[in-house]
Amino acid sequence: MKNIKGYDAIVANRWVRLGVFLVALVVLAVLPLVADPFTNQTISHVAVFAVAILGLNIVMGFTGQVSLGHSFFVGVGAYAAIIPIRDWWGGPLAEGAIVIGFVLSALIPGVLGLLIALVTVRLRGLALAMVTIALPTIGLPLAQKFSDFTGGNEGVSIRRLDYVGADGEIHKGNPFAAGPGLANDQWQYYIVVAIAIAFFALAYFLVRGKYGRAFAIVKSNEAIASSMGVSPYRYKVLAFTIAAVYGGVAGFLLVAWGQFTSSETLAFHNSIDLVIASIVGGAGSIVGAILGGIFYVTVSQIMNGLQLSIYTTLVQGVVIVIILFLLPGGLASLPRTIRRLVRRGRAGHSVDAGPTAGSTTENTK
Amino acid sequence: MNPFGTFVQLVVDGLAQGSIYGALALAIVLVNQATGLVNFAQGSMAVLGSYIGMTIGNLFIPGVGAILGIIIGILVAVIASLAIGGIVERFVMRRFERAEEDTKVVATIGLLTLITGLVGLIWGFNPTPYPFFFGGSESLRIGDVSISVWSIVTFTTIIALMIVLQILFRGTKLGLGMRAVADNAPSAALSGIRVGGMRMAGWGLAAALGTVAAILLASKSQLTPNNFDGILVYALAAVVIGGLDSPLGAVIAALGITILESLAAAYIPWIGHDLKVVVPFVLVFAVLIIRPQGLFGRRTVVRV
Repeated sequence: MKNIKGYDAIVANRWVRLGVFLVALVVLAVLPLVADPFTNQTISHVAVFAVAILGLNIVMGFTGQVSLGHSFFVGVGAYAAIIPIRDWWGGPLAEGAIVIGFVLSALIPGVLGLLIALVTVRLRGLALAMVTIALPTIGLPLAQKFSDFTGGNEGVSIRRLDYVGADGEIHKGNPFAAGPGLANDQWQYYIVVAIAIAFFALAYFLVRGKYGRAFAIVKSNEAIASSMGVSPYRYKVLAFTIAAVYGGVAGFLLVAWGQFTSSETLAFHNSIDLVIASIVGGAGSIVGAILGGIFYVTVSQIMNGLQLSIYTTLVQGVVIVIILFLLPGGLASLPRTIRRLVRRGRAGHSVDAGPTAGSTTENTK
Repeated sequence: MNPFGTFVQLVVDGLAQGSIYGALALAIVLVNQATGLVNFAQGSMAVLGSYIGMTIGNLFIPGVGAILGIIIGILVAVIASLAIGGIVERFVMRRFERAEEDTKVVATIGLLTLITGLVGLIWGFNPTPYPFFFGGSESLRIGDVSISVWSIVTFTTIIALMIVLQILFRGTKLGLGMRAVADNAPSAALSGIRVGGMRMAGWGLAAALGTVAAILLASKSQLTPNNFDGILVYALAAVVIGGLDSPLGAVIAALGITILESLAAAYIPWIGHDLKVVVPFVLVFAVLIIRPQGLFGRRTVVRV
């Protein structure tokens, strides 16, 4: 760490980092007051999926396992959040129903994730991908079977719920409608972005500390991890469970954002899209989850805007293959890659080229 | 219809549907043997092949008649998928040869998306009928039992293909080379076998097998770019149950889970048609708990 200068020194300085973080926080806090509703909704939408992708990054990027069933946890979390709100918000619980929904959205996917991981993590590597790919396939018919509960294909909407007003009459209301002084999009923005920031902070401290180091050693070599007293099994189960909780919370945020969910939320293709967004953003980094969220939301938004939505899949496929070939660390590793190229250019041809395709999930934090 | 007739029909239909899953499962095992990865794009490659068959078939049918046109379509589709499999291995997957396992999985997920998007771009996302010798609803009556022609043809075709593959692997020099590469690539290279060529051949054969299964499926239902997403999930379940290193195990598991699934749907009322999809995956979990290497798989010992 003695020879860093210029850009590296500035980035490495913790005060600079803290300053950038605080500025970003202030911008995020002030932005919804001046921006138009569409911008606010888009940013909240990005925050929803950034949380989902962050969970995926913890299991894929930091622990080196591929989960192809992440949309299952998002979908289950969304149901776990929306059903208590639908059933209890209008009653004596009032706003307490939202809190219950939030707790359940983390708890139920977390428990399911734990149970699934306890079984599937026993096999090395590919088993997790091969089994988790089945989760959306099982979840979809289950959600449709119990349609009394889940609303089947129509889904559940809580935009117009009955409640008893102060005057004793029954009114229609939206649990996520804004209080006085704010518009709905601003209020929902604050809820979603605040919770997202809290969960990003949690993940940041998680991967910096003991757990992050354990994840990294499990990822790089399980035999060495065991010999050092770090149980690969335990940490892989832990990572998968945390990922499930993040997926579930993203489900709650999705409900807060749109006040609606259906069985479509847990469909298979959403899992694939999440994996792609995670890799494009950079699976081994926390910033990568934000970039992945931006990719997830804006690509389909832009394609829909251009009326080219049938090409969305193709665009995603082309982008992921390009990223895998040229930038295996995802967009989050772009600054580092550019710096390395510049340095190599300066040093002439003396620096070796390095491996052609490294790990997609290399830590860039 | 008598209860026995229903039972036979369920088993035969299960065998046919199961042989499609089994073909894809076998393709996945073949690729795993050749290159040590699980190809999540196996289904979409099969769909691409069947779209090529449909286009060529429809092109030739007005000129040479239905039967010959369909045959030309199938032949072109098989040859094209042999080539596509080889090309994908050589120019995409070869690059990730030394990458970590999770990167390889993501690379095949990327392929899945890319190929699905490409098929959607060329042929659109609407269901398209596949020109075939007979429809999905024709059936044969043997006494009280009526069995669909499609089921018989599908099952026998795929079993015949599997026997051909077995002969190829056991009795030809190409097959011996491929098995050598699967067993120990560096040693195979030292004894003069072209490892890269064998891997391309493995991918090509797997893709061709998948394409035949996709054509058979399309002849009953219709073609869509996502036709094989659900089937891929079943095939993977069969691979997990049978064992990733056991071709025979994967096929038996595929047939077994499909028959069990359709029997459970028919005879256990609370499962019914809605929840039958859950049955194979309960089995997957049971197998993972009791015998994690799969029913027919070998336990591998990792040396440090």
